[in-house]
Amino acid sequence: MRHVIIGSSAAGIAAAAEIRKHQKDAVIVMISKDEHVHSRCMLHKYISHERDVKGLDFTEENFFENQKVDYIQNEVISVLEDEKCVLLRSGEQIPYDKLLIASGAGSFIPPIGDLRTADNVFGMRNLSDAQAIDKMADSAQNVLVIGAGLAGMDAAYAMLERGKKVTVLEMSHRILPVQLDAHSAEVYQRKFESKGTIFYLGRRLEKTISGTGGQICRVVLDTGENIDCDVIIVAAGVRPTIDFLDKSKVEAGRGILVDACLQTNIRDIYAAGDVTGLSGIWPNAVKQGTVAARNMCGIAEKYTDTFNEKNMMNFFGIVTLYLGQICTRKDEVVLTEEDRNVYRRVSIREGKVTGVLLQGDISNAGVWQYLIKNEIDISHIKKNIFQISYADFFSVKADGEYRWKCEGQNFKF
Amino acid sequence: MRRIIIDYKKCDGCINCTIACMQAHREDEGTIYDLDLTDPANESRNKSVRAEDGTYRPLFCRHCKEPECVMTCMSGALRKDAENGLVTYDETRCAACFMCVMHCPYGTIKPANSLQKIIKCDFCAADGYEPNCVKACPKKAIHVEEVEA
Repeated sequence: MRHVIIGSSAAGIAAAAEIRKHQKDAVIVMISKDEHVHSRCMLHKYISHERDVKGLDFTEENFFENQKVDYIQNEVISVLEDEKCVLLRSGEQIPYDKLLIASGAGSFIPPIGDLRTADNVFGMRNLSDAQAIDKMADSAQNVLVIGAGLAGMDAAYAMLERGKKVTVLEMSHRILPVQLDAHSAEVYQRKFESKGTIFYLGRRLEKTISGTGGQICRVVLDTGENIDCDVIIVAAGVRPTIDFLDKSKVEAGRGILVDACLQTNIRDIYAAGDVTGLSGIWPNAVKQGTVAARNMCGIAEKYTDTFNEKNMMNFFGIVTLYLGQICTRKDEVVLTEEDRNVYRRVSIREGKVTGVLLQGDISNAGVWQYLIKNEIDISHIKKNIFQISYADFFSVKADGEYRWKCEGQNFKF
Repeated sequence: MRRIIIDYKKCDGCINCTIACMQAHREDEGTIYDLDLTDPANESRNKSVRAEDGTYRPLFCRHCKEPECVMTCMSGALRKDAENGLVTYDETRCAACFMCVMHCPYGTIKPANSLQKIIKCDFCAADGYEPNCVKACPKKAIHVEEVEA
């Protein structure tokens, strides 16, 4: 059996390891543009000089040798499903029996002014982005970050560590609008501001002004305000990397369309990770890569753990986690608890937890995710909701593993 | 693999297991008699939670067959060891993103108070993989057993 994997990030690496578990003698070929395997979630740590290229590698020591995975550093420009092979930029054709597309996603640069053409504008997605930003940061003083989501705030944080003057532009009226409520967002905003960050919230970029040498030196907002900048980091979302499928019969909408077993409309071609648009977070990409790999090995399995409204941040020694819906609906009850270091917020609808936000103390928080994604009814538990733990659902299997116990409920995961 | 098997009905909440864990993982030298229980750096990897009816539920890392924590680790710090089945943690690789904390369905991982790393059971690797919590339990509510990985 000959497996070809496009992409060397979370989904691709997880798939390669899983295939090897089931098929000792299969040929596994991984094709990626990346010179070095790297964790995209840690790019900001490269910019801040906390980690070097080796420190971004998330694979185990000698992964490719030990798992017998052939790594081809090249770009796939086309998938030829009738011939069952992929075509590389180098002109080489790589045949496959089973193909996994885990090509991920790329930064979305809005088509405003010279954003797409200026050479001091970068995404925050690949090591090459981080390397370019790092290089620019040696001479640049004024950094403009567009987008105050997680990637944007990571970039802003890294640039503060480098001693830069950071300005953040965000369309929404608060930072981290998807992840946080107004209260918890303000905690971070104040911290960033105390370190010199300037925020332009509830505003849009209207035009760019370029100086000599093809670099944007100033941007103008919809309010007429001007921001001077030496380098711009755009963190305004990502789009699945599917341009190489233009001529193929593999169906895609915004991302590649897959069935429950992560197979595309073309037999023997699977997709996993950000390229499917099913989620944009690491653990889900790993799970998709693992499930796709099992199916590629003939082990039928569905991808069911699809919950993706979750993330975590850690800035200035304050950790925050969010799960589920942060915007509250009218029929939800919201409970909060707060002291000088900790803020906890849980929303409940019809006895089920719909959203959780924990700031300052996130100890043992995995229980909340399990409660939300399995829609577990907790109305029978009569105690302070913030005291709920796995002890309330405690049960042990014969082999000593735990399982969730809750009367009359069947869990999906 | 070897796993700590829990018989919660025998647990009377004495938390000798918790103290033994703190002692086994303290950074300074000393005996259990001079262990500083109030030092935030001395944290336990296990706990036993009192239920409504007054009985106890020991919460210990299971070193799961399919560990959610490993699947969510984006730095490569957490691994399922193919040889001994344990979920190992390399704090030098850890990026302190705490996604594992959010993913353990049993809540057995927490950030260290320093927020630089996580607190997670290592099966007392430094003591020859003989967990100190088990040695300290006077009720035999926990014991080590060979199970299928």
